[in-house]
Amino acid sequence: MAMAEPVPADAAADVVVGDFAEIVRRHQSMVFSIALHFLADPPAAEELAQDVFMQLHAKLSTLKSPEHVVFWLRKVTSHRCIDRMRRHRMPQVSLEDLPESVAFSLGVQPADPFLARRLQQLVASLPGKARLMVILRYQEDLSAEDIAQILDMPAATVKSHLQRALAMLRDKVVRTMGEVR
Amino acid sequence: MTRVEDELKNALRRREPPQGFTHRVLARAAEIGSRQADHAWRELWLKIFDQPLAPANLLRWATVTVLAAGLVVGGVHYRSVQRERTQGEAAKQRLLLALRIAGRKLQLAKTRVDQINSGRVNSDQLHSDPRANQQERE
Repeated sequence: MAMAEPVPADAAADVVVGDFAEIVRRHQSMVFSIALHFLADPPAAEELAQDVFMQLHAKLSTLKSPEHVVFWLRKVTSHRCIDRMRRHRMPQVSLEDLPESVAFSLGVQPADPFLARRLQQLVASLPGKARLMVILRYQEDLSAEDIAQILDMPAATVKSHLQRALAMLRDKVVRTMGEVR
Repeated sequence: MTRVEDELKNALRRREPPQGFTHRVLARAAEIGSRQADHAWRELWLKIFDQPLAPANLLRWATVTVLAAGLVVGGVHYRSVQRERTQGEAAKQRLLLALRIAGRKLQLAKTRVDQINSGRVNSDQLHSDPRANQQERE
């Protein structure tokens, strides 16, 4: 599991976090991908990712360690995704309304392109928080406890949301594509 | 892990942002940095001159006034010292030139006096030598 422990407030304050440009290079794919999978809109995802890094630039001196930076980036990106969804009143898109081109616009070339495309559409149709949990679970390989810390909610809630989201995804994949174990 | 989960991992794997992303982020950060520096200066000045008559600012105002007066007085004094120094240098050069000219004239006069003196000595010697007078008489 990827590390997502918040750093205690009394951690050594002088830990060198590193050069901002290096941090951007190292974490840009993580931040951009969370935004991209959530918004399914590459230009909007880039704009959001840039805003996250601008916020990091202003806050960098307060972050205590590289692990703290990663945790902070995941948390801020997630919350910005939710905020953007609320601000722009992103509709809960029904599967039938999803454009066929969404998955292609993400530049996906998976082993099973049709199934991957369908899964992306299905993930994009999930409610905001459940969508974010699925992205953090399967893109970032985080545990329910890690996700709970990022989203400021109990781990049990995250687990139940994840189970429901996964069951729903499996059910819809089976309905639209046939049997998938 | 089920196949759906495997496929989800595959479908949701990380993607690289569009080319030039890092450059664009760093450019924005640099722009914000320079704007913040300007803003900090403006804030400092506003802080200094904000509410000039508030008691807490009196000491600050007094400090600024003394510093400004010191700068003005110092500048004027420096300019006057510089001007005096320049005038003194010019006077010194003129004096040296005058001394050089006077020295040359004196040297010339001394040479003439020496020449005149040496001519008179020769003629006196000629008139006061007895042997020379006798030979002259014979």
